[in-house]
Parts: sequence; C-alpha cells; structure tokens
Amino acid sequence: MVLKIVVWSILAFLLMPLVIIVLFSFHASPSLSFPFAGFSLRWYAEVLGNAQLGSALVKSLTVAGFTALITLILGAAASLAWLRLGPRGRAVLEVLCLTPIALPGLFVGVSLLVLFAQTRIQLSTVTIVISHVVLALPILIVAMRARLALFDPSLEEASRDLGASQMQTFGKVTLPLIAPTLIASAILAFAVSFDEFVVTSFVAGTETTLPMYIWSMMRRTVTPLINAISTLALVFSIAILFIAWLIGHLRRRSAVAGRTVS
Amino acid sequence: MKAPNIRMGGLLAAPAVLYMVMFFVVPSLILFVYSFWTAASYRIMPDFVFSNYLNSLMSPLFWTVTINAILIGLVTASITLVLAIPVGYYLVYVSRSQVILYLILITWFSSYLVRIYAWRTLLGTSGVLNTILIQAGIVDTPVGVFLFSRFAVAITLIHIYLPFCILLVVSSLSEIKKDLVDAARDLGASPLGAFFRVIAPNAANGLVGAFMLTFVMVAGDYVTPQMLGGSSGQTTGLLIADQFRKTGNWPLGAAQAFLMFLVSIVIYLSVIGLGRATGLIVKRRPSKRAGV
Repeated sequence: MVLKIVVWSILAFLLMPLVIIVLFSFHASPSLSFPFAGFSLRWYAEVLGNAQLGSALVKSLTVAGFTALITLILGAAASLAWLRLGPRGRAVLEVLCLTPIALPGLFVGVSLLVLFAQTRIQLSTVTIVISHVVLALPILIVAMRARLALFDPSLEEASRDLGASQMQTFGKVTLPLIAPTLIASAILAFAVSFDEFVVTSFVAGTETTLPMYIWSMMRRTVTPLINAISTLALVFSIAILFIAWLIGHLRRRSAVAGRTVS
Repeated sequence: MKAPNIRMGGLLAAPAVLYMVMFFVVPSLILFVYSFWTAASYRIMPDFVFSNYLNSLMSPLFWTVTINAILIGLVTASITLVLAIPVGYYLVYVSRSQVILYLILITWFSSYLVRIYAWRTLLGTSGVLNTILIQAGIVDTPVGVFLFSRFAVAITLIHIYLPFCILLVVSSLSEIKKDLVDAARDLGASPLGAFFRVIAPNAANGLVGAFMLTFVMVAGDYVTPQMLGGSSGQTTGLLIADQFRKTGNWPLGAAQAFLMFLVSIVIYLSVIGLGRATGLIVKRRPSKRAGV
C-alpha cells in the first residue's frame, strides 16, 4: 500500500509538468501563472499562422521519415544477421550498435561534426539524417533483440526442409514473423529523430528542425505559444507511441501466438 | 547448414556494421586525433601536442565546471535511481500494470526541450510554484533561487532521465525470479529487507549499470544547465559545446570530451569498487543465466 502511494507520487511528479504545459497552452492571457484567466484557442491559431514553424515542422517530418526508412533497412538486415551469427558475431554487432546509447549526445554530435568538417561534407538535411540514423539504429536493435530472443530458428529450418528456397523462406516465414516488431521499432526511430535536438544542433548547419525552432523561441521568451507547440508535439509523440503499441499488439494476436515462451 | 548460415549472417550484418564504423567509430577516432592538434585564430592545424590535455587539467575553470558536472551527475543519478527502484519493483513484482508502463513511456517520449521548458515555467519568479507558495501564504515575495540554480538543474534532469532509468531498472529486476523474493518474505524478511538482502545483490550489476548510464547522460547534458543553471550551473558539457560553437577551438574541445569520458570511467570503477567493498556487489555467478 505504501509502495503504491510512492509509485503514484513519482508518476505524478513525472506527469505534472506536462499537464501544466498543456493547461497553459489554452490560457487566455499571455502569463504563465495562476490564477488561470480562462480558456482560449488563440495560441493554437497563432501556431497555424506561423510559416516558419510550418517549414520547421516539414523539415522535421522529412528528416524523421528518411531516418526511419534507412534505420529500418539497416536494422532489418542486422536483425536477420543477429539470428544467424554465433556469440562472437553477435557481440561485435552489439558493441558497435549499442555504444552510442551509452554516450551523451554531445560526444556523438561533436564527433560527427569533425567527420563532416574533415571530409568537407556540407552540413545540410543529409548530414542531419546521417546523424539521426546513428542514434536511431541502436534503439531499433535494442527493441528487436528482445523480440528476436524469442524467435525460433527451427521454423526457418522446417521451411528449408520442406523444399523452400532461401528467398522463399525469407519472404514467407522470417519476414512475416519479424515484420510487426520491425515496423513498430521503425516508428520509434521516427519518434527519436523527430525529437532529437543535441546532435542536430551540431550538424544542422543553417537548417532548422522543429526542436531547433522551439529552442530558438525558448531562449528568447516564455509564452503560451511555446506551450501550444509543445502540446501539439506531445500529442504527436503519444500518437506515434500508440501506433507502435497497436502494431505490437496486433502482432501478438497474429498466427505467431501459438508458440509459448516460458 | 551452419557454415553458410554464418556467412549469410555476416553479409546481412555488413550494412549496419559498415554504417556504424563510418559514422560512429571513425568520427570518434578523428575526434581523438583532433585532441592532439592545435588551433589558432579559427584555423585548425595537424600537430601532435599534449597541450590541450595539459592546459585543460591546469585550468581552474575546467576543474570548477567538471566538479560541478560530477556533483550534479552523482546527486541526480542517485536520486533518479532511488526513485526508479520502487517503480521498477512495483512493475516487476507487484503489478504488471500496462497503464503505469505507458504513462512512463509517454513521459520518456515527450520532447526533451518541452520538459526543460516546462520546468522553466514552473520554477520562474512568476511561475506556477511561486504563485502557489505566495497564495498559500508560505512566502511573501517570489523565491528567485528556484530558477537558475543547481536545484533547478537537478530537478529537471531527474525529470528527464527518470523514465529511462525506470526502464533500465525494470529490465535488470526482471532477471530475478519472484520466487526468490517470496521465499525471503516467507522466511520473515521485511519488504525492505528482501530488497537489500535478496534483490539488490542479485540485481547489483544491472542497478550499477542503470546508475552509470544515468550518470553519463546527466553529466554530459549541457542544454539543461545552459537553460536553467545560470552561472552556477555551468558544466563540462557546456564548456565543450562552446569550444565547438563559439570559441572555435575544436582540438581543445575534443581533448576535454575525452577527459570527460575518462572521468566517467573512473567514476564507474569507483562505484564498482565501493560496491564490492561494502558487499553490495557480489561477483556474478556464471550459472545464473546459463539456461537462457
């Protein structure tokens, strides 16, 4: 009982700032403190009328889309490799692909910056995507690894024994089994890229993504306009999470469910 | 069957491995090489000098901000872990509540900048916390020290990294069977006793891992101190970022990044050493995960 109270207080601590942000995004006055002066949608109207914001959003969606796609392709191949490799191969793959998670974004950001400077690659949308994949691929692989540990390689062997070619086995057995998890993980990669700020600030050059636009506003002032943008970003993140959950959930109900894991 | 399988595996792993070598390993190596170069008036010249390291180590400013970063890191990571453990314990042993899990994931995936901004509006002199305190009659004038202080930095960092830490704790506690905890409780251990004598020693590696990952993230976070720390909250991360963005002395920034890396390793070894000395960390028994 005591534990339950502790847990819910900690959750309240986590959620309270977000609730306050959402609440004040509807504030009728530009102040960000109580007493609450009434509800209004004026800040959302302002968001819609802001062209710079719109182009930053489009930039972020483009970057996140390409990041998710590249991460999906690299991650899908790596996941299939993971199933086939011995312990040593897996260790190499894991060290390479997991270390970036254990490093601050600052380190990854400045090292990519020196790489681009040294190879004289112009900072652009392309360099942002390249950098985001470095951050998203490890997350995709962590998410996949937990699922792949449950993958039964004998299903592939059975398919081969029954005369299917390697390609047929891949298309009809392996891919359908791992696809839902892959897609859910790619959506997470999208979310990571969409929110990324630290690394982006080093490799973006003159480009402006949504988090960079929010940052430039945040540094200048505190206004419910930022709350409105934040609320929309929050709703977007929750929607992404929900879609990933839905796909994962459908997967569980699909034909694979026959296997018991214990 | 086995041999072509492994070759196929290598072939499939190649794109991801190549990508990470090109855009993670090589850049880190270039950064390391840079740390021995010299910079003069915004031009960077190949060289082999140790002056970037030596100058940093001799600079009082570097030590001030590094000690600040370590202190903020240790305090924040400790509080974060202490808060993460009850939630992790609850999720693993009491109730696999999907609601709680998704509430945690929502905060984890809510924007990093939005959360920094949220605390800024909460802690400001005309912010929510101050207005509540004034209206409740606890203080007469707004408390200015909430914002732009180590306190503001710490509470925001805890808020940002707690969901991540909870997930790490959940994964490390999941390895310990509930039967073990039940047995301890049956033998008369209190919940806290069961935690310290059964769970903590078994999950020590995972918990130390969670602590260290949180420490590295927190100590390396420079955006939060920049936004909420004022002059007292400057950290090594901010110093390094400024070498790359403002001062233009990349080699110095590179050397400081590697010094920060070294500091993290020293802290990691100290935590392990401390754990062994106090008996909280026992060497991993090899049989434990053999069946997986």
